[in-house]
Amino acid sequence: MEVDRVDGRTPNQLRPLTCSRNVLNRAHGSARWSQGDTILLAAVYGPKAGTRKNGNPEKASIEVIWKPKTGQIGKEEKEYEMILERTLQSICLLTVNPNTTTSIILQVVNDDGAVSFLENYVMFKMAYLTKKVQLLPSAINAASAALVDAGIPLKHLAVAISCGLEESGSVLLDPTKLEEQKMKAFAYLVFPNSVASILPEASLQVEGELLEHGMITSVTHGVMSVDSYLHCLERGRSASAKMSDFLRRSLQSRVPNDLPKTG
Amino acid sequence: MRFFKKTTWAPSLRRLSGLRREEKQEDIMGLTDASGDLAGEMEVDAFRRLFPLRFYERHLLESIRPDARPLGKARDTTMALGAVASADGSALVKIGHTTMLAAIKMEVMTPASESPGEGCIAIDFHMPPICSPLIRPGRPAEAAPVLSKQLTDIILSSEMVDLKELCLIPGKAAWMAYLDIYCLDADGALFDAALLSAVAAFSHLCIPAVSVNDEGRVFAISEEQIEGKSLKEPLNKGKRKLTLSCTPLALTCILHKKYILADPTAEEESIMETLATVVLDMSGRLVSFYKPGGTFLAYTSAVQDCISLTRQRVKELQEILTEAIADLELD
Amino acid sequence: MAGKSSTYSLKKQHRLKKPLFKDLVDWVRPDTRGFHQCRPAFLRTGAVNAASGSAYVEFGSTKVIVSVFGPRESKKAMLYSDIGRLNCNVSYTTFATSIRGQGSDHKEYSSMLHKALEGAVMLESFPKTTVDVFALVLESGGSDLPVVISCASLALADAGIMMYDLVTSVSVSCLGKNLVLDPITEEESYQDGSLMITSMPSRNEVTQLTLTGEWSTPKIHEMARVITTTRWLRPYCDYIEDEGHLRSTCFKLHPELRPKNGRGKPRIAAISEVPFSSGEGGA
Repeated sequence: MEVDRVDGRTPNQLRPLTCSRNVLNRAHGSARWSQGDTILLAAVYGPKAGTRKNGNPEKASIEVIWKPKTGQIGKEEKEYEMILERTLQSICLLTVNPNTTTSIILQVVNDDGAVSFLENYVMFKMAYLTKKVQLLPSAINAASAALVDAGIPLKHLAVAISCGLEESGSVLLDPTKLEEQKMKAFAYLVFPNSVASILPEASLQVEGELLEHGMITSVTHGVMSVDSYLHCLERGRSASAKMSDFLRRSLQSRVPNDLPKTG
Repeated sequence: MRFFKKTTWAPSLRRLSGLRREEKQEDIMGLTDASGDLAGEMEVDAFRRLFPLRFYERHLLESIRPDARPLGKARDTTMALGAVASADGSALVKIGHTTMLAAIKMEVMTPASESPGEGCIAIDFHMPPICSPLIRPGRPAEAAPVLSKQLTDIILSSEMVDLKELCLIPGKAAWMAYLDIYCLDADGALFDAALLSAVAAFSHLCIPAVSVNDEGRVFAISEEQIEGKSLKEPLNKGKRKLTLSCTPLALTCILHKKYILADPTAEEESIMETLATVVLDMSGRLVSFYKPGGTFLAYTSAVQDCISLTRQRVKELQEILTEAIADLELD
Repeated sequence: MAGKSSTYSLKKQHRLKKPLFKDLVDWVRPDTRGFHQCRPAFLRTGAVNAASGSAYVEFGSTKVIVSVFGPRESKKAMLYSDIGRLNCNVSYTTFATSIRGQGSDHKEYSSMLHKALEGAVMLESFPKTTVDVFALVLESGGSDLPVVISCASLALADAGIMMYDLVTSVSVSCLGKNLVLDPITEEESYQDGSLMITSMPSRNEVTQLTLTGEWSTPKIHEMARVITTTRWLRPYCDYIEDEGHLRSTCFKLHPELRPKNGRGKPRIAAISEVPFSSGEGGA
């Protein structure tokens, strides 16, 4: 399983993570998330009165607005928005603030490299393979940190991870753009964070599996065997534990400073 | 069951049922006596509209769905190839009430300099206002661009069509296949139906015979001209059908508590929101496992169950597809 | 997508003996129909389950699907209205025509459809609300609008919207010396003038009459004779009568509209009058 990675990481090692909260003054909650060279800024506004069009007034609705680094939003960004919306909806306690809307704005600050929109249609396939895995997991992590910062009631956090599958069948976690080019398939997976609870462990289990082993979101690209996918799932799970530890630490460290922002 | 038709009566039913909520629940618990008159029917209907989730969970307990399907069974699927005469390849697919019309039109383009020997496929998914009461003209459905993105993704990444086969003259001319999929009736599992119709349209596709003139422009030649041999050989002789390898086919499932419901209707999708779409190709490889959020988490066992349900479904769909192609060749 | 601008659709080398129609009196129509004959038709209601009412109609290669939604809440911006509103929209698929189109809305047809149906629907039966009539032309093979109109009236009936009568429509093309009924695209492209008439057959009323192009007064007279003698106004109803269940669908919600006595005599007189007066106005 020893794979030499360009940046000297082991297959299971993630890129360096940083997470800072409360970076924007006017937003109700915000977070800056960086993972290697990928940097995203998330801002949360709300809850504001009224649901979105056709929304269920008995629940809170979540709205995600994606701002790419350059240019206008297209089909890809629409898809990101939809995936993010559905993912965040599933971690929020929607019944606490019924008939309100919470907006999350995600600004891409840097997306690990220079690939922006390729006009060339033939390159289209390559372009989104590389873009997607880079941005979406980071965006989900950024958004869930920003939701915590805004004090939106959550069930748990969403921890997102990307897995790349090499031609040989081995799995690399959190691949960089350079590595992605050589991969045949990707899966990016979102799990709940691991729960630190005083309750006995058995009560946290759902049908013999830990809550944190359940998958919230899965999006894949490229063809792979079913076994490889299950393998990705397993590796992603174990990595998500590390990631959720990191999130917990970086979110807790700010708690003493969390004084009311506005008078 | 024309569910939406009753929408207009909702307010009056709501008022009515507010008074007699308790009775109603008992009714649905199987205590309805055999009187079975119209009033009784209305009560069940009202319960369905007022407490849709409980209505469904009550059914799920009995391992049955309101439309009398077992949980893992997909709806009846039919397919008609060559539904649109003005297109080069087309197919009409119905899964239950969900209807999709896919058509391919071939146009000629100059290939990109990066890949001079390859053609192109442009996929667009449309949800015209006729397909659902939620869509109004002028305001396109939110789901449409996301679905066309997903379809593009699946069809290109599965490498079902070899883009090299779409080349006419390397570096000079190649085919651009415009695949447009129209949803004519939206009743759940849109992605499955759209992908099936796209695959069917590709298997029906017959590339027009073409020749090239002195200016390097490609033009179509008719069948008589080919037989009459009045002109030079058609440029793409013997290359008018695409060889499709590893056709991807999909199944959408609802995850609800410990239940897995295959091929949901629009009503089911609106009530139980956790969806997972599995795409497998003919050789059983996983092309996509798509689960965008949702209240219920997918544990390994559920993931495996979804995949095995999809395996069965892909076999069924493959048979339907082969049958449709065989029927076409008979004609 | 990128690259769209650089693609072009194939041009067929036209080897057709072009305006064969023009001056000859006894040419054969491309589909070997008689001049005063409609294309074979297929009609079916209940094509879209998600809609309140819907119909699918095929006239030769013209294929149209219409969904009706409502009566439902009007848009918030709409002012109070004593009578209901009818909202019509016609759009084409990108593959409907021989050259790939944009699949956008057809504004002109949308408003013509509205005008054709307006007179037949009892708008006062659904005050404050809107009935939406959405049409999608799956394949265009000529005479699109008349087919859309007839299909829309079937869909309205299927939705149980109160109407005075079904609305049927047909167009006539003037090609040189001849008048051809229900023209196909090819004939339409060579026509000198065209006429579209929309009527409520059981009530002997015309809801819309459109005359375009070059028509001489004798031609209009001849046209009037053609449409009164060939019983073209009744293709749909004839069909429906043949298919008992369809007729019952049409009238199940307003049995008072069921024509009581034998149809025929007074209608011919009435129709021959209406096109005359309107036709002269247009000519």
